[in-house]
Amino acid sequence: MDHPNTSPAKTRWVFVMEPERCIDCEACMISCSVENEAPLGKHRNWIVKIDKGIYPNLSTTFLPENCHHCSNPPCERVCPTGATYRREDGLVLVDFDKCIGCKYCMMACPYDARFVNEEKKAVDKCTFCVHRLDAGLPPACVETCIGHARHFGNINDPESEVAKLLAKHPYYRLYEEAGSEPAIYYIYSNRVIE
Amino acid sequence: MTDESNPSSRVSRRQFLRWAGATAVAGALAASGLDLLHPLGTEAAFRSVRRLSDAPPTQFDREVASLCEMCVWRCGLRAKVKDERIYKLEGNPFHPHSRGMLCPRGQAGIATAYDPDRLKYPLIRSGPRGSGKWRRLSWNEALDYVAAQMLAIKNQYGAEAMIFSTTHNLVQTQFENMLHAFGTPNYGTQRSLCYNSMITANLMTFGLEEPGRDYSQARYIIYTGRNVLDSISNSESQDAMSAIARGAKVVVLEPRFTKTAAKATEWLPIKPGTDLAFHLALIQVIIEQELYDADFVQEYTVGFAALREATQSYTPEWAAGKCEIPAETIRRIAIEFAQAAPQAFAHPNWRTSNFLNSFQTERAIACLNALVGSWGRPGSLQPVGGEEGAGLGSIPQPAYPRTAAARLDGVPWKYPLVPLKLGVFQELRDNIITGQPYQPHGWFVYRQNPAQSLPDRTKTAEAMSKLDFIVTIDVSMNDTAWFSDVVLPEASYLERYDPLAVVDGTVFIRQPAIAPLYESKPGLWIFKELGQRLGLGDYFQYKDEEDYLRQQLAPLDITLEELKAKGHYRLPTSAAEGDKAFVFNTPTGKIELASQTLANSGFSAVPVWEEPVSNAPGAFFLLSGKVAQHTQCATHNNKLLHERMPSNPLWLNTVPAAERGIRDGDEVWVESPAGKVKTVAYVTEKIRPDCVFMTFGFGHVSKALVTSYGQGISDSSLHLSFTDPVSGSQALSQTFVTVTKA
Ligand code: SF4
Ligand code: SF4
Ligand code: SF4
Repeated sequence: MDHPNTSPAKTRWVFVMEPERCIDCEACMISCSVENEAPLGKHRNWIVKIDKGIYPNLSTTFLPENCHHCSNPPCERVCPTGATYRREDGLVLVDFDKCIGCKYCMMACPYDARFVNEEKKAVDKCTFCVHRLDAGLPPACVETCIGHARHFGNINDPESEVAKLLAKHPYYRLYEEAGSEPAIYYIYSNRVIE
Repeated sequence: MTDESNPSSRVSRRQFLRWAGATAVAGALAASGLDLLHPLGTEAAFRSVRRLSDAPPTQFDREVASLCEMCVWRCGLRAKVKDERIYKLEGNPFHPHSRGMLCPRGQAGIATAYDPDRLKYPLIRSGPRGSGKWRRLSWNEALDYVAAQMLAIKNQYGAEAMIFSTTHNLVQTQFENMLHAFGTPNYGTQRSLCYNSMITANLMTFGLEEPGRDYSQARYIIYTGRNVLDSISNSESQDAMSAIARGAKVVVLEPRFTKTAAKATEWLPIKPGTDLAFHLALIQVIIEQELYDADFVQEYTVGFAALREATQSYTPEWAAGKCEIPAETIRRIAIEFAQAAPQAFAHPNWRTSNFLNSFQTERAIACLNALVGSWGRPGSLQPVGGEEGAGLGSIPQPAYPRTAAARLDGVPWKYPLVPLKLGVFQELRDNIITGQPYQPHGWFVYRQNPAQSLPDRTKTAEAMSKLDFIVTIDVSMNDTAWFSDVVLPEASYLERYDPLAVVDGTVFIRQPAIAPLYESKPGLWIFKELGQRLGLGDYFQYKDEEDYLRQQLAPLDITLEELKAKGHYRLPTSAAEGDKAFVFNTPTGKIELASQTLANSGFSAVPVWEEPVSNAPGAFFLLSGKVAQHTQCATHNNKLLHERMPSNPLWLNTVPAAERGIRDGDEVWVESPAGKVKTVAYVTEKIRPDCVFMTFGFGHVSKALVTSYGQGISDSSLHLSFTDPVSGSQALSQTFVTVTKA
């Protein structure tokens, strides 16, 4: 495999999404909200809906999304207090106690993945469910994805589901031109959606 | 005038009917009653109070295996509990309906248990019905009062003067037990608003209610208005998506570009009411071109010649004029479908209460499947069945009294072919109003919301005003409870035992993850306590809920404690099973393409064309249906789901919208002969220009539902009632509306 997140010896957690399998049910959003206690009205993950065409020639695509845990995270660079930091295994996290709420990171994020959590008085976002990961569990959104559109794993382990999917299918990442090296990979649809 | 302090007194009709028009409902929350519903400290958070940087917990005091009840699919779940609080619900990997996953509603279940608007205590009204004035009762007082009212009605007018109604649930056996023991024939279910036509057609054709589907090897699937990817049945939705991803060809007949249509290989925006023509034409092509499975037809069916003769003239060219789908498309799909068979099925669908011809549509679909031999083979329809609860121990009880009175819903004296357990709910409602063939006086409503689910809610309000006594048992103060005399709070599905459920030969348990909140009680307890007070104690021979389950488990090699810990138990396979796949429980023992039963009742023995009503110029078909985030009219006050979908804007195509000067988000008036309501337009390309669509369940009039009260509109304020004489099905898609800018 030839992509920038590869560094064979290390664990690198990534998402692989199959938009073709996303049915926009939002189970992932509610599962995440409950697991991570996001305030009502704020979400760590979301579904981008793209409608095209004029009746009756229509298409709709659903893109599941959350923080891309970039390898070169613009949010981390602009954080004045070091509240946003990057872990060895690629996770980009926020230390709520260090966050002063300046929102620079929110402006810097190419994916609009961050929000102000009024209850925590800090900027919040997807953690790849680090607490579950550390306990050996898959992220809450992945576990309950009834479309089987969300996959999660270590890209550097060739036996992982994500590595296998990426080896088999062409894929893309969102706003790659921003240079942030995002860790969410989207599998191209194998059907023609005009 | 009514005596406001006496709950058993009748409300004046005018007063009571006020709520029926949704626009008439406004104003501040009634003071006294709502205080009782929302006492201090009930903002029961489904969120914890933690230190800022503390991560969510991963260690719990216990993980309880139980069953979801956010819809009727009953997925297995695991509830993660710590400090007597449920933190998270997850799918049970051992349950075939969830396979480790819960849908959005299942995931949101904790917000139903921790809904601050939940019913907390038994209540009796202390003002007119619908005034929101309530007085708190002890359970003893409430049950004594309810039993006294029911017995007074029975003594004065006979048992048949009490109506019992409920919606599909696991306590239904005890509900039915009470109904039969009480001695009334009047049983209301949601079924005629939902799937009567589908079930009746399958009974008439295959001798079973609903064939299963094998998605694993299906190569070709036709959905006729079944929006399987949005109207979620967890495992089936998973299977459908997987079949599509695998490359199965999926054809969707649907006036709206649903999520299922978006994923399908082919979307056919068919004219509403004409699916029958489409399927008759498929049959015509398959017979004419001899594409049917001749061996299968010969061996397992009767009536082929009659079907061939009856469908001869239903050519694709003929159907094209009805459906607005090109003839060559119809012909091609007929050929493709037959070639893919038997790894192909036309889905029997689910809520099929659309048009008066929906029974014929379902019959045509059943015959289509039979013609191509889609039965009991890989990738085809599957013979499924078996009773719920088979293999479990039963609770001893005496025989039921004989009931001589006729059913108010016209089964069978007006609807000879409607199965008793389905009934005709809208007819029952109408006959409360007419008082024919006799006048009922009381209504026992268990976990159901007819005030919102029945079409034409002005009529439902009128029917309720004719009754002396209405008691509703539910978790929340739904619209029906709001207009009842007594309301009893049931424990939520996360707080109680229900009778055991058997799925695919495995026993599953619903058990409390936490103790019942407030003073709510499990249904099993309520039925036993009420039964005793009605003098029917012999019918409820269990000490408590656990004892009920122990008696069910008695013949099996597992204790309740073991089942509670494990969550499921595989039943021993009975030796006598054998292959019943091709034994059909019909009068002829075969698949009946032509049905003598239908002919005997004066209906066509084979599927035939019945012209549906069409819209006048300028009027729209009012379509309704489900979304992934809500279930019927039961989940709209759940804060997590409400946040995802707080209202139900009206889908309107861009062309008619432009003609009327309506832009996306504008307020519009929608008017049918049943009512006129104001809502918001969702202007979109994704619907036929002659249709509008709204999802149901919104527009609650119960002010006790603080989160959802007054949001969106209820389809029942617009829908008219039409009943199919064969299956008793309501026809929900043949109400026409006009839309104007507000
Ligand atoms: S990985 Fe966890 S935090 Fe991130 S979107 Fe999924 S559930 Fe939410
Ligand atoms: S749970 Fe899966 S299928 Fe449903 S919206 Fe989320 S990503 Fe899509
Ligand atoms: S389909 Fe969803 S709501 Fe229905 S039982 Fe399953 S998880 Fe619960």
